[in-house]
Amino acid sequence: MDQLILASEECDVVNEVICAPADVKELFEFTEVIFSIGPLGFTRTIFLFFLAAFVVVGLLYFGLRKRRMVPSRFGVVIESLLDFVKNGIAKEIIGPEGARYVPYLTAIFLFILVGNLFEVTPLINFPITSRMAIPAFLAIVTYVIFVFIGFGKNKFRFLLDTVWPKHVPIGLRWLVGIIELVSIFLLRPFTLAVRLFANMVAGHLMLTLLLGSGVIFLSAFPEIGLKALVGIPWFALGLGIYLFEIVVSVLQAYIFTLLSAVYIQSSVHFEH
Amino acid sequence: MEGNIEILKGAIALIGYGLAAVGPGVGIGIVVGNAITAMARQPEMAGTIRTTMFLGIAFTEALALIGFVLFFIA
Repeated sequence: MDQLILASEECDVVNEVICAPADVKELFEFTEVIFSIGPLGFTRTIFLFFLAAFVVVGLLYFGLRKRRMVPSRFGVVIESLLDFVKNGIAKEIIGPEGARYVPYLTAIFLFILVGNLFEVTPLINFPITSRMAIPAFLAIVTYVIFVFIGFGKNKFRFLLDTVWPKHVPIGLRWLVGIIELVSIFLLRPFTLAVRLFANMVAGHLMLTLLLGSGVIFLSAFPEIGLKALVGIPWFALGLGIYLFEIVVSVLQAYIFTLLSAVYIQSSVHFEH
Repeated sequence: MEGNIEILKGAIALIGYGLAAVGPGVGIGIVVGNAITAMARQPEMAGTIRTTMFLGIAFTEALALIGFVLFFIA
């Protein structure tokens, strides 16, 4: 709600047709400390970060607490999510060895899913994955895992065959080697993090802009009269984007997990 | 103000991002279009094709994402 108030102070409802936030950074940076435990101050982002972690743990705990032959409705949802990550991502992409990586993939899938869905959760309305630190950290974890597996399973051949690929004609080998080296060790973690971050930033901006404009114009009806009707198309468009963002949230969590699995797979089966 | 391009910086960055989005836009269109053709021809392979399609989209998207980041850095 504070974002909306922030926008309404700036918005000139008489002259403008849409309320753009004056400074985009203010929509994403919460510097105010809500509460503190000892020396650790909790801002809104960090609070939501821990909330997402607790929600994931809670979902798994209450969903799987009683393993029954016929699970409850809630249990079915959780079990099908876990089954989706296990069979739909890990086993299908990595193969039989994928079972080892199921816990990691499940953890990042559920955490990103909950973090993304905070964007469309009423009263929270802020995707924690739109702060670069969180996708960057998750991408670095994936990076460390697939680099370690690559070197662990293939020893030094992992680096050597990347820089000097034997299956490529000798004239082009150095060029392909450079491209592969940059793509595997620099662009992979970078794009993995930025993809999630960019999608969430774009979604949060669109929702704030459209729903915020709609509410501000409609609530300014006493002052500006019929011009308040400008708010109706913004609000309607905002609701459409709202549904679209639910799809984007789930899809981005899926894509992040899928690409993590693909990168791990390329280290596990490293034979071009 | 003469010779001062600071005021145009935002606009130039915006054009740069627009140009960076053209190639991936075409690329994603080709990827998804071919995936739909494949799914229509062999519906029993739809699951595998969908996974591969998302992978293709994710790799094609990379250039647009780099443009997006440069837009904020500029």
